[in-house]
Amino acid sequence: MYTEYAITYCAQNEYESLVKGAFWQFSIVPEENGTQELLEWKITSNLPCTQNESVNGLGFRTVHAQTKEKFTQANFKASFLVLKKSSNPFDFIPNPNPKMDYDAVESLTFKTEHETYLRKTRYTHLPNDFNTIFSFDRKKSIFENLLDLNHWVFVHLFFKVGVTQVDTPLREIIEKRHGVCQDFTHLFLAIARENHIAVRYVSGYLHQGNGYFGDSQMHAWAEAYVPRAGWIGFDPTNDILVADNHIKVCHGLDYSDCSPLKGVIYSEGGNTTSHSIEVKASQQ
Amino acid sequence: MLARVANNLFWMGRYIERSEHIARYLNVNYFSSLDAPNGLSQSRQFVLHSFLFMIGEPENDPEKVLDEESVLFNIGLDPDTYYSIINNVKAARENANGARDLISTELYEAINKFYHFVLNYSPDYFVKQGLYDYTMNVMERTAILRGKIRGTLLHDEVYSIIMLGVNMERATQIIRIINSKYHDAILAQDNYSDKMSTSFEWSTLLKCAESYDMMRRFYRKTPDIICTLEFLVLNDNCPRSVMNSLNQVSKHLHTLDLDKNPKKNSTAFLAGKLRSEIEFMNVEDIEKDVKQFIQRILEQLYQISKRMEEEFFKY
Amino acid sequence: MKAKPKNSLFSSYPQKPELFDEVFEEGGNIKPIYEKLLYLYGEHSIKDYVNLNNKAKSSFFNQGITFQVYDEEKTQEKIFPFDLFPRIIDPREWDIIESGAIQRSRALNLFLQDIYHDKKIIKDKIVPLELLASSANYLHQMMDVDPPGGIYNHISGTDVIKHADGNYYVLEDNIRCPSGVSYVICNRTALKRALFGVFNHYNTYTVTDYAENLLQILESVKPHGVDNPNCVVITPGMFNSAYYEHSYLAKAMGVELVEGRDLFVENNFVYMKTINGPEKVDVIYRRIDDAFLDPLEFRPDSTLGVPGLFAAYRKGNVCLANAPGTGVADDKAVYTYMPEIIKYYLDENPILNNVHTYHCSRPDELKYVLEHVDELVVKPVDEAGGYGISIGNKLSKSEIKQVQEQIKKEPRKYVAQPILSLSVHPTYIDEKESFEQRHIDLRTFTLLGKDSEFVLRGGLTRVALQEGNLVVNSSQGGGSRDTWVLKKDD
Repeated sequence: MYTEYAITYCAQNEYESLVKGAFWQFSIVPEENGTQELLEWKITSNLPCTQNESVNGLGFRTVHAQTKEKFTQANFKASFLVLKKSSNPFDFIPNPNPKMDYDAVESLTFKTEHETYLRKTRYTHLPNDFNTIFSFDRKKSIFENLLDLNHWVFVHLFFKVGVTQVDTPLREIIEKRHGVCQDFTHLFLAIARENHIAVRYVSGYLHQGNGYFGDSQMHAWAEAYVPRAGWIGFDPTNDILVADNHIKVCHGLDYSDCSPLKGVIYSEGGNTTSHSIEVKASQQ
Repeated sequence: MLARVANNLFWMGRYIERSEHIARYLNVNYFSSLDAPNGLSQSRQFVLHSFLFMIGEPENDPEKVLDEESVLFNIGLDPDTYYSIINNVKAARENANGARDLISTELYEAINKFYHFVLNYSPDYFVKQGLYDYTMNVMERTAILRGKIRGTLLHDEVYSIIMLGVNMERATQIIRIINSKYHDAILAQDNYSDKMSTSFEWSTLLKCAESYDMMRRFYRKTPDIICTLEFLVLNDNCPRSVMNSLNQVSKHLHTLDLDKNPKKNSTAFLAGKLRSEIEFMNVEDIEKDVKQFIQRILEQLYQISKRMEEEFFKY
Repeated sequence: MKAKPKNSLFSSYPQKPELFDEVFEEGGNIKPIYEKLLYLYGEHSIKDYVNLNNKAKSSFFNQGITFQVYDEEKTQEKIFPFDLFPRIIDPREWDIIESGAIQRSRALNLFLQDIYHDKKIIKDKIVPLELLASSANYLHQMMDVDPPGGIYNHISGTDVIKHADGNYYVLEDNIRCPSGVSYVICNRTALKRALFGVFNHYNTYTVTDYAENLLQILESVKPHGVDNPNCVVITPGMFNSAYYEHSYLAKAMGVELVEGRDLFVENNFVYMKTINGPEKVDVIYRRIDDAFLDPLEFRPDSTLGVPGLFAAYRKGNVCLANAPGTGVADDKAVYTYMPEIIKYYLDENPILNNVHTYHCSRPDELKYVLEHVDELVVKPVDEAGGYGISIGNKLSKSEIKQVQEQIKKEPRKYVAQPILSLSVHPTYIDEKESFEQRHIDLRTFTLLGKDSEFVLRGGLTRVALQEGNLVVNSSQGGGSRDTWVLKKDD
């Protein structure tokens, strides 16, 4: 079964003082993979600017836009048409003996191959006094534990917009128990990495048609490497596994690898950016 | 060549030239005033006011009594005045630093030594008895730099850009010095009926442009306003004249922009236009309204420099 | 045995028998290689020597080969301390240093290639995974990136010392942006100006061929599809302490010296802004740190870098030398595995000795280190420039306690080595107006290109100017001297 998604991304940047040239990098183009096909896309702006495709540090598609114009306002509108193939994340044969899975992920070869995604980063470093906040139950499989963790994060944090920033420390998120999808995801990643599970941060779009949590912004979730199944997406903000409603853009160690919009602005003074995203679905 | 580095070279040339003209202005005016033929030209206050007028910070109250030591310090060695010789030399060296990989070791070393010379010059000694020594040294060291520029650099784009800076600055400074001495001549005329056309100030003006001897040789007479202006503005054989400087500017622009027919409003076009205008000017026209002439030329030089920045130095 | 010749320069030279002196044998006889030199220098009195030395110093000053010292009142320009008495290296000894340095550079290159791809050396349990996992200089963005020509560490600076046993030991490998090569050339120039006569009596390798070799190496790693690569040197700017070196290298190679603001990236290609418009850049010898290369990918507040540069690099359209992420291999903890790393990739025995290293991350070695702090040099693994080093036999009891506490807090952060006795060289000491023994090391410069390699025959002999001090870094007040590598007699 296929679903066609029409995604609209808008970014409005307002600058306090006149900007004399800028360079933006967008990480907003849906990835093309086994379940996603990008049918058409375009990005437009109120400014005359040159655009070209590029890659980010991990090789995901980005768009570079630059201008030599002088301006105080820069608006971008992007639209994507994506064909999503439905998939079932439970569709694998779990290992009858969970211990074998743990042995597999604790082997030197596995740890070496997945070293990058086991690495604790600034956003995913669980404070020492919280490192037993959620412990894996060795009697259950890794997959089951991750499902439990997904649920635990969902229960532990309350979805609340505007109370956290991109750089709010994990400690504050755990203590105040609220945040947005980025915070849910970083907490999930931190605990999973503490338990030696290779996990990565995913940025993308969520179709909120079924009443899911989100805030008309880029969505974030996690992918965990599950032995015998490979990378499986967990959305702790909504306590679900990632399937048909998630359209992936890119992944990385944490948010800093996936920021949808980065820019170098030749100007003084601050700026405000507002994003809005709309995802419309039509069944094929 | 990098646009930023070209900008550095251009300004290095300008600052070197500028420090020389300021130094000479101080030297010539101060020392010729000592035995000037009329009371005003001899007055120390008159000279100090003239210094401030020349560097672009005139004292509006002509009666105000200036302190000699502080005026000299301000112009010679004050690190906090943008126009001081020390700051011009600093700026020249900083610009040389930015282009250090393109200029010869010999040129850099000479600039660096120059910089350390002004940096280590005792301000106290300077204001009390070092005026002659300091300004002579500045003049001699700039002459050395000019020699190193000509003698140790490849005569390519690098050389042309430095020479553009030198000549643009020279044209500008000569006009500014004419302006300043013209102003002095008017004052001398008003106060001491030192006749305008044959004022003592014209000799001083020529000396400020290091052109007195050549002028005497060329005209074989005592300088008057007509021959002084003619020599310093129109004579293309006088190496300090505006005409000669603009000829150099056009020549060096040609190295950078090979277009035989420069595009409208390009630097080469603007420079060529001013050059031709002056070529077919006669001194009587200038003399009719010297102030207006000065303003117009300064404005056009400014436009050329601005255009040059947009065309070559934007980064 | 020849008697110690009368030489006014060294009549009162205090020679400590426990130190390995480069010039004098135990007992005061001159080593054969220095005989002619001392004879020639013997023609000068101390006064002549000081005179020449000062002339050489002022030539450094006039040429602006200086660094800035900032204090409260004003910034001052200083030259690096220099003395006219050269160090001479025997050709047979040099062979060992040269082949050893090349061996290490090649092994480190393969190591980098491996850890940014399959990480076989870890899977094969030669080096521990923790080495990578805890390294702050590891760049995950470099995973599976293939640098042009397959080279990561185009320029390596290997620091070696001569121990009291007469053998050379490597202290560390610098493969981020090793600096100092311009001083090698300046020292030589100064010595030639002051004492040209002595060169007639020695057959010394030139050091001025460094720049042409560097250019060749840079050109050899041009991006795919480029015929005549356009190389540039990128500098943080003229206020950087190594700006002289950056401008020297650009000038000597005849390439542009650029700053970040001179470059821009369009359509994943890098261009510089020239007076004639944009000009494509193919190879960048970068003298700015990884973190500042590209504000989009690394530190967002960097104004030294170029937005989009890393994308251009990843796309293979520009080569960066050294490659980003090489810092992971000049970690002091990696150093301790160098013998194993060389063996693993090259199947060779290390030519140059490593100093035995105790890892505080290993419980049994930690125990030994804590018990023997007074006999060891304790270093933090990730600090450059000689900071945070404690030398056991120089510590008071309370300082030893402090060091022990520090190590216990973060054992992984520290390694320890036996205190080496660096060789000493007669060094003119201004305040004492005479020559005294001072410890020295040698920074070598190795270039690695596609199918080619080069070691500068000379190097920077750094001198610890404080009596008894073993830390030679210029940031710690060290000086330098010209270094002669002699050609073999035919």
